[in-house]
Amino acid sequence: MKKSPWWTIGWRNMGRSRRRTYITAAALAGGYFSIVVLVGLSRGIVAEMIANGTDLIAGQLQVHAPDYLPDKSIYETFGGVDRASIDSLLTIVESDPDISAAAPRVYAGGLIGSDNFTVPGQLMGVDVDRESSVSRIVRVDEGRLPRPGTNEAVLGGEMARQLEVAIGDELVVVAPSVDGSMGNDLFTVVGIYNSGIVELDATTVIVSIEALQYLIFLDEGQIHEIAAVVLDPWDAEDAADRLNPLLQSSGHEAEAVPWTELRPELVEYANLVSASEFIIVIVVFGMAIFGVANTMLMATYERRREFALLLALGASPWGVIKSVLAEAIALGFISILAGVVFTAPFLIWWHVAPLDLSFASGGFSMSGSYVSPVLRVEYPWSAIVVASVSLFGTAVLAATYPAIRSARLPAADTLAGR
Amino acid sequence: MSDKTIAVKTENLWKTYEHDGIEVHAVRDVSLTINSGEFVALAGPSGSGKTTLLNLIGTLTRSTQGKVWIAGRDVTNEPEGVLARLRLQSIGFVFQAYNLLPILTAAENAELSLLLQGMDPAERRQRVLDLFGRIGLNGLEDRKPNKLSGGQQQRVAVARAVVGEPAMVLADEPTANLDSHASDELLDVMEELNRDLGVTFVFATHDPRLMERAHRIVHIVDGAVASDEVKTVQNA
Repeated sequence: MKKSPWWTIGWRNMGRSRRRTYITAAALAGGYFSIVVLVGLSRGIVAEMIANGTDLIAGQLQVHAPDYLPDKSIYETFGGVDRASIDSLLTIVESDPDISAAAPRVYAGGLIGSDNFTVPGQLMGVDVDRESSVSRIVRVDEGRLPRPGTNEAVLGGEMARQLEVAIGDELVVVAPSVDGSMGNDLFTVVGIYNSGIVELDATTVIVSIEALQYLIFLDEGQIHEIAAVVLDPWDAEDAADRLNPLLQSSGHEAEAVPWTELRPELVEYANLVSASEFIIVIVVFGMAIFGVANTMLMATYERRREFALLLALGASPWGVIKSVLAEAIALGFISILAGVVFTAPFLIWWHVAPLDLSFASGGFSMSGSYVSPVLRVEYPWSAIVVASVSLFGTAVLAATYPAIRSARLPAADTLAGR
Repeated sequence: MSDKTIAVKTENLWKTYEHDGIEVHAVRDVSLTINSGEFVALAGPSGSGKTTLLNLIGTLTRSTQGKVWIAGRDVTNEPEGVLARLRLQSIGFVFQAYNLLPILTAAENAELSLLLQGMDPAERRQRVLDLFGRIGLNGLEDRKPNKLSGGQQQRVAVARAVVGEPAMVLADEPTANLDSHASDELLDVMEELNRDLGVTFVFATHDPRLMERAHRIVHIVDGAVASDEVKTVQNA
């Protein structure tokens, strides 16, 4: 294919005022850098929020009895009489290719009392071995996790403070049972966790699943929930769609629910951030476009005699437009190259070594999720594409008006210096 | 003489500008016929309208009134795209200020019209090299314009004008920025091209040396043809 003369002319024109070209390319590359890094950062924060909102306790996918949500009634269990039914459910859930781990849970609400104080709380019965692969709440700061089948408990730091208990102290736990009676028993504090969310630390007590089933009169095969880890949180909906038919066909009255339904506020936040990415693109390149347009206007004004010459020699007005646009595309290409050269190493470095700002700010909770003071960036592949296209678009759009002006020059008057 | 041998013809041509509400007639009622192969000077003092007439003949500007034929074709009301194509294929231009593109080498500048025509790179380069040899620009092909003398630059401009083998070359004060030696050399080149290749040359000039070498002198005064003097037998 024959190379268009306009590419040659456009490309050469880039080198006429190198300083101006470098400055303009640097401005565009800076815009590219800003967009990719800002979007990567905002996606990092969202990913962190989703991870914290799901890893801590909820999991990315849960299986419940159909009517368990939203009331979380202790009567809405699923499973069977013996443990084998739970194992068969876990096998089904873990058979999904996107699910890496799953753990059964039993919940109950009750009162937790020490020698001097009593507080309301949520009892969470867990399979200790499985739970450690599913949630971070079982990562204790002090002590250890409860042994299966024993009356041992792990408290949040805030509850331990309110009850004025420490490891080794005894607790009185009273909880309504599924048979209508009140279950009560003594538990020994064996560990203390701190999730970073004070509300959780003040209310949630972790005990072994067997102990809680016994306390509230559930069979050993009856559970309230299976929490599962989905490798990519955004695949949770697909995993749930695959699991539900399997659960139904296996005869279990249970349904899989992805985190996007359990924590819609996180989805809304992610959508908000996603929408704001376009604002970032518009603002950054919106500012850049005026600078580039000004530069192109100056550059083409200085060369108006040359455009007039081309028109006089027989170039079509469209040809002149193409020569200016070719220059803009060449500028866009150089800018993108510069943008990638500067952005890629920075992005990789930041992704690999997230910035720990704990010296300046502590963690906090937002929408029920813990936000750590560690800023990390995700690789924003779609933003990289959007930024590249926008950069080209900005360069070409900024050059369009100067190009049209150049093509409409009156050749004779311009060559005469009028 | 049939229309086929007429390079350009104008009929009652007027060009009127308006300055601050006052009409200025740059060209007045010019009817002129220039045959193929002529070596014609449009002579006259500055402001006489010869450049405007040249631009009208070259379709770079449109007349206020009257008609222009190029090679027998009425181009008066042709759209700009058609005129651009006509210029590309049939008319070469040489300007007082050379107007070479500084980003291109001498050879690339000379190739420009061929480039715009979409000619194969090897073929256009060969044409330019042949022409450079003929007009004394050998060895200067890869120099940028700022590394050439004024005379050399103007010869490159002439090469650019004739390399596409146009029917007519219009030159606006081609010797105005050259010393006498460079002017003579340039005129030699143009005369040779006119003689050997039959290219029609029309100059706008007030340079006596150029008028002396022209075969026909059309005197323009206040935008109108004052006299039309044929000096020699045409070469074409």
